[in-house]
Amino acid sequence: MKKSLVIIMMLMLLSGCIEDNIIDDILMAEAEGYDYIGNNQVIGTITTPNYAQGGVSGSGGGGLPATASMMSSATTVTYDGRSLAENLQPKGQKKIKVGKLRIMLFNEALLKHGFEKTIHFRNQDPEVGRDMYLAMVDGSTKDLLTATYQTAIPISRYVYDLIFQNQQQNFPKNNLSTFLYSYYGRYADPMMPIIKREKDHIVLTGIMFFKHDKYAGRINGQQKAFIFKTLVENFKFGFYDYTFQQNEHAVLENVSSSRQYVVKNGNSATPDIFATIRITGYVRQGSPLLKTKDYNSTIKRGMEKDLEKQIKKMVAGFQKSGIDPIELGQIVRSYTRHFDGASWSDRYPNARFHVKTKINIVETGVSQPR
Amino acid sequence: MKQFRINETHQVSPVYALFIIKGMQVGVSVFSFQRIVSRDSEQDAWIPVMVMGLSTLVIMWIMLRLLKNEQAYGMPDLFAMHRRFFGPWIGNLFSAVIIAYEFCIVIIFMRAYIELLQMWVFPRLPVLSFTAIFCLIVWYIVMGGFRTITGTFLLSFIYLLPLFLVNSFSVTEAHFNNLLPLFDHSPAELARSFIKLSPCYLGFESLLFFYPFLKRPQQAEKWCYYGLLTSLSVYVTTTVLGTVYFSQGELQTLIWPLLDFWKSIHFPLFDRFEYIGIVYWLTVLIPNISMGVWIVSRGIKQSAPVIKQKYALVPVLLLLILICVVMKERSQIDWLNTTVSRVGLCIIYIYIPFLLFWQWILKKKEGMTHEKELSHHHDADAAQRLHRR
Repeated sequence: MKKSLVIIMMLMLLSGCIEDNIIDDILMAEAEGYDYIGNNQVIGTITTPNYAQGGVSGSGGGGLPATASMMSSATTVTYDGRSLAENLQPKGQKKIKVGKLRIMLFNEALLKHGFEKTIHFRNQDPEVGRDMYLAMVDGSTKDLLTATYQTAIPISRYVYDLIFQNQQQNFPKNNLSTFLYSYYGRYADPMMPIIKREKDHIVLTGIMFFKHDKYAGRINGQQKAFIFKTLVENFKFGFYDYTFQQNEHAVLENVSSSRQYVVKNGNSATPDIFATIRITGYVRQGSPLLKTKDYNSTIKRGMEKDLEKQIKKMVAGFQKSGIDPIELGQIVRSYTRHFDGASWSDRYPNARFHVKTKINIVETGVSQPR
Repeated sequence: MKQFRINETHQVSPVYALFIIKGMQVGVSVFSFQRIVSRDSEQDAWIPVMVMGLSTLVIMWIMLRLLKNEQAYGMPDLFAMHRRFFGPWIGNLFSAVIIAYEFCIVIIFMRAYIELLQMWVFPRLPVLSFTAIFCLIVWYIVMGGFRTITGTFLLSFIYLLPLFLVNSFSVTEAHFNNLLPLFDHSPAELARSFIKLSPCYLGFESLLFFYPFLKRPQQAEKWCYYGLLTSLSVYVTTTVLGTVYFSQGELQTLIWPLLDFWKSIHFPLFDRFEYIGIVYWLTVLIPNISMGVWIVSRGIKQSAPVIKQKYALVPVLLLLILICVVMKERSQIDWLNTTVSRVGLCIIYIYIPFLLFWQWILKKKEGMTHEKELSHHHDADAAQRLHRR
């Protein structure tokens, strides 16, 4: 019995062989930025949160900040697709780990060059979660990541929160998981949001679209983003600003938006795609010119027409440049028996897209206009 | 006749058949089978999964019939059956093959889990110390007897329930039109998926070994079917999840799709779910390996009664450790996995029905000899009567 006890104790000792990652002893990279500088070289920037504690007043020794001296960002030049954390180890005060990466930013030049290697690496690496955000930066990612802003929280969380809250509203849902879904998916092209630094703010300016892994176009502003979002997902919050005449607006805040597709002749040279978009919403901000009954006649119909026009224009633009961020190809495939996938890329620009919007204005605010 | 029955103190209630069968079927392959099964049949992958699940019900019926008939002749398990059907020499040879097969399954389980741990959680995990500690646990459980093993199966069933609730997180990001158009693949493509699927459902043939340990086997029958249906539902939902959550192109790039899905879940307290999930999966592995090792050691004892089960157990575990340490590459595990699953497929779809057929033939033959004996007896009686007269 004693002998077996000794053996058991010795076996327990073996378990100490695995390396540990104690949170105080590592630097957790939370944001990565890539700036393309030509010739397959990138400037890579990482930032790590800097848990600066304020000195505790009244305590002896002046309450020295505990970790304020930790580094907060580092930059290197490397080939594209290289793991930044590994490449930056020589600059790391402590071991740099990417397990908690929240955002990855790319500048326009890199996306125009194509970033297949980076995406492949992200899909291959088990260390990073899939609910992080990818975003394009207008300007330099290094500037954006190392600048100081009004908020004191780390830049990674600032950008994360910014994108997160906007994706609850006018911007379509997009994170690494959905990006990979459409990147590797057949008959679909991915997209990502665009952010920009404006002095001490960060602004979400639009959405950019890919053709496979290369930049292929963008839309700006939350109006366009709303229109795009109605096509790609069902959602509950968002607002649409309708200008019914010069300088006169009515804003629809939507309570729910749902889309429905029907496809006919999916294997013909010109497939017909019928989209029906139903939006239910409030108007809380309307022009003083409008009466209650106007909302259910002119405004409603005007909005429907306007949305249809804009949607058609947007889809025609996508078809012209041969990109498919709405994943119309997936929709046609799911409605067509023995779908002819090989010729889809040739047929996609000729597909006939029909859209019908149905807007239901439920309430018009708490005051009775005139 | 007394050695034909297991002492009631070592037997378990009929309901435990559910936990054991479900536990044996749902293993590490849950993480990886979606990619393999949808390679040929894409969005229709759930069809072969469903068909195979339903076919296991038929095989279960055959097995139960086989074991029930066998009760009249001796111990109703596969090793005793082999000896009765084919004589001691050939019978033991067959038993040896089955033992080797079961042992390979144990190795695959162990090795696949270690690979998972090394890939996702601890890249520098030393295989030797992990398997050594693990085998110590297994040794302890198997020494506790069959009831202890069943207990771990029950625990793992309970522990796993919350893990499958996590699947509901996929609903918000699901693309349900990925499942359309239904039935868009040829039977040949579905059949190819069906064959690749085989490692998933294997494991329920362990009933052939633990059947004598079930109290009131008549009542246990329905729990066996319920066990199969539970794992059927697990596999079908996981397949559907893989199809609606990933696009087909993406799914083909992922070796462990379920873990990639877990990777996108986070809770306020823990940022990444797959670390919890993988380590949690140890509770599935423990009963599985214990059962496998129990079958192997019991098989050795049954085939060569000189060796006691507890003495057979130690070399089995040592061999397990050795092989796990020696096997290093993914390609080796893959090769072993495919080979063993093909063998398993043959065992459940060809060998088990064959056994039932053989049993029926033996019974017929026996009946005939019995009749002959009877008629012979009859003749003798008549002769005697004649003689007396």
